[in-house]
Amino acid sequence: MPGIGPMRKRLQAAGILLIAGLLIEAACLLSPRPIAFVIFVSIGGLLMFAGVTLYLFSLVSTRTNH
Amino acid sequence: MPATTLVAILVLITAALIVVVVLRPGLVSTPTGKILAFIALFLLPVLCGAMGVSTDMERSTTTAFCLSCHTMDSYGKSLYIDDPNHIPAAHFQNHRVDPEHVCYTCHTDYAMFGTLKVKIGGLRHVYVYYLGTPPAPENIKLYKPFNNANCLHCHSGARSFEEGATHNADPATMVAVKSNKLSCMSSGCHDTVHDIAHLNEVKFWKEPK
Repeated sequence: MPGIGPMRKRLQAAGILLIAGLLIEAACLLSPRPIAFVIFVSIGGLLMFAGVTLYLFSLVSTRTNH
Repeated sequence: MPATTLVAILVLITAALIVVVVLRPGLVSTPTGKILAFIALFLLPVLCGAMGVSTDMERSTTTAFCLSCHTMDSYGKSLYIDDPNHIPAAHFQNHRVDPEHVCYTCHTDYAMFGTLKVKIGGLRHVYVYYLGTPPAPENIKLYKPFNNANCLHCHSGARSFEEGATHNADPATMVAVKSNKLSCMSSGCHDTVHDIAHLNEVKFWKEPK
């Protein structure tokens, strides 16, 4: 997308990771089976952790650039 | 409203807010947009994750959750054996333990971090079930001998236990039981637990609807 700075790109990437993680969480909440819990914690948790970390990194890196 | 529904609603609201930030990243150039992004990309996802883990941990203590694996079918059936000498069945049918959490109540560790230890053990079950070779139900063994503390959590201090004739016939018995040196399920004591091998030979109790 032209005109979007690195911070905005990172925000979008973080948002996409978080949405993917949240979708996995929502899907796992519908299933009462043990494997759903494992998928939620491993894949969903990893995606959400990556999204939050990328968002925080985008804040820190922007401040450093200024 | 069930906790699962609450978490699902929160997840949907969070996802909707994130979509707004992703589609209109220009919002973050204003102070209000920065606050919105912080809420949508940090606060709410962390809250969703924490509530999801908490809900799933609570759900993983239910009888339905334990019996959702095919391997546990026979163990679920053994709770309906119509014989008071079958310890799990007698506890389940007489509500000596909460029937909705019957497996977890007896197979957990009441010590500090006990729930965490049990959940790590549960992950091992999942690994064996999906990636290993699950044993036949009648060959399933506990990883460690059953800890008397799980029985004593409720029975310790109870008159029927403390003053029981068999428990007090030999003064050493009670000490050995309380120190976990003599199992409650020793031969000749309460030794009829999940008798999976003889399920075809027993009578079952029909739960009234």
